[in-house]
Amino acid sequence: MASAILRESTIMKIHYGTALAAVALVAVHVLMRLTSGGFAESLEYETVLANYRFLPYALMLEIILVLLSIHGFNGLRVILLELRQGPRYEKAVSYGCVAAMFALIAYGSRTIIMTNMGMV
Amino acid sequence: MASVDQEEGNAGVEAGTDSQGRYDGAGSDSGARAAADGNRAGIGGMANPGKYGIERVAYWLMRLTGLGLLAYFIGHIYETSSILQGKMGWDEFLAITQTTEGHILLAIVIGMCVFHTVNGIRVMLGHGGVGVGRAARPDYPYVPASQNYRHKLGIYTAIVLAAIAMMYGLAVMFGV
Repeated sequence: MASAILRESTIMKIHYGTALAAVALVAVHVLMRLTSGGFAESLEYETVLANYRFLPYALMLEIILVLLSIHGFNGLRVILLELRQGPRYEKAVSYGCVAAMFALIAYGSRTIIMTNMGMV
Repeated sequence: MASVDQEEGNAGVEAGTDSQGRYDGAGSDSGARAAADGNRAGIGGMANPGKYGIERVAYWLMRLTGLGLLAYFIGHIYETSSILQGKMGWDEFLAITQTTEGHILLAIVIGMCVFHTVNGIRVMLGHGGVGVGRAARPDYPYVPASQNYRHKLGIYTAIVLAAIAMMYGLAVMFGV
């Protein structure tokens, strides 16, 4: 169980911290879409590729990926634990959410790293 | 968002019952028993947003927008991975999202994002004791101090800002 490793109060502090950091970085990410010569133009292949190959931006995307994965899957865990309780259920939910979080981070990181390193 | 939301979730706990809906001996017998019966409604009773005011609506909107945003986030990660298939793969996937339906879906995501953010900040502030008033002895009719006009205003602000952001998003996407 996640709470056996971390106290629930610590998990909630992480939840709030990741939320605040993500709000700031997602705002930058959205503003990039609006300031790159219009919304449609910002989604063109060449523009997106250039964004991924710009290291600071790629790093920001990676940080957003990690922050939102932690926040999102912890939020899901909290919702699921509100609906039902029990030692086995709680353990399954906590480990399931952590596994899903790592899987999503790995999948998203693959896109960022491969594109940034010019493997496209 | 658990703690303060749980507090919101208890908005309907009536006099004579504790937070789990058990009869604690306070209040009149019939009133307390009726309240206890009301709290036996289970998830269906908890889900009823009409009975307990705007706080319960915010409680549900917070969870629904959270789940919606997580679903969108997973979809977005999958969508952007199409760049690994080169220009053709990217353009093909982009064509699916650059439709009227795609734009409306994105506008809903924008609205969910703004509501979740603004209401989340309200919940965080409430969790930290901001805007919940001074600690005081609980007296009848046991109105929770955290459910005051400041936090109600915060919820309405979150809804209005979400609506404005959705309209702005639609204007940008449809090039109005």
